Amino acid sequence: MDRSFERSLERLDDIFTFLAECASEYALDPGSTFAVNMAVEELFTNMVKYNRSGTGDIAVSVNGHADGVEVRMVDPDSQPFDITAMAEIDTSAPLEARRPGGLGIHLVRSLMDEVQYDYRGRKTSIRLFKNRP
Amino acid sequence: MLQIERDADGVRLAGRFDAGQVETANRVFDTVETSVEVRCDALDYISSAGLSVLLHTQQRLSRTGHGLRLSGLNPHIRLVFEYAGLTDIFAIR
Repeated sequence: MDRSFERSLERLDDIFTFLAECASEYALDPGSTFAVNMAVEELFTNMVKYNRSGTGDIAVSVNGHADGVEVRMVDPDSQPFDITAMAEIDTSAPLEARRPGGLGIHLVRSLMDEVQYDYRGRKTSIRLFKNRP
Repeated sequence: MLQIERDADGVRLAGRFDAGQVETANRVFDTVETSVEVRCDALDYISSAGLSVLLHTQQRLSRTGHGLRLSGLNPHIRLVFEYAGLTDIFAIR
């Protein structure tokens, strides 16, 4: 299933509604559904926050397979930001040293089994895969 | 959508704590000045935006020797706390 969303955090509820339709269509288990929701939210909010001047909608596609669920997100007008090359955050730092920056991408990489990033001609394409349990 | 209530026992969260709910949640957590319990038994989902609200509150409270106690985390949310390395940052039961 494919859908495009305006580059605005106000579209988050529409995205979650779309993801619920996908979860039902592909009979996703609760863990995969949670992971897909989180991954799409984290990536979409990053695309909106760090590229407000980009033009064009952000495309989200979800496809169920026998062995898992595949998510693709495309931002057609973006700056390069390789989420697979980002340094790991320190999850053992004491409370006072904790900063929220990077936490979202860390969670995406932790919850999903595959994360692939591609950037060409201002277009960011991200492919995620979550194995069925 | 997030439902958030402040009562005599602390704070109760229900529904979805996503990036669209940060302002609403901050308005409530900003009123917390001592140790309280955050009841999460009806909380279905939390993203890094929600975690950041809790983390910011915990940092503020810790400066006066207080903190949040979290209860009723569902298994998916508990896993997120584990991946984020937050199980030692909050009292969780």
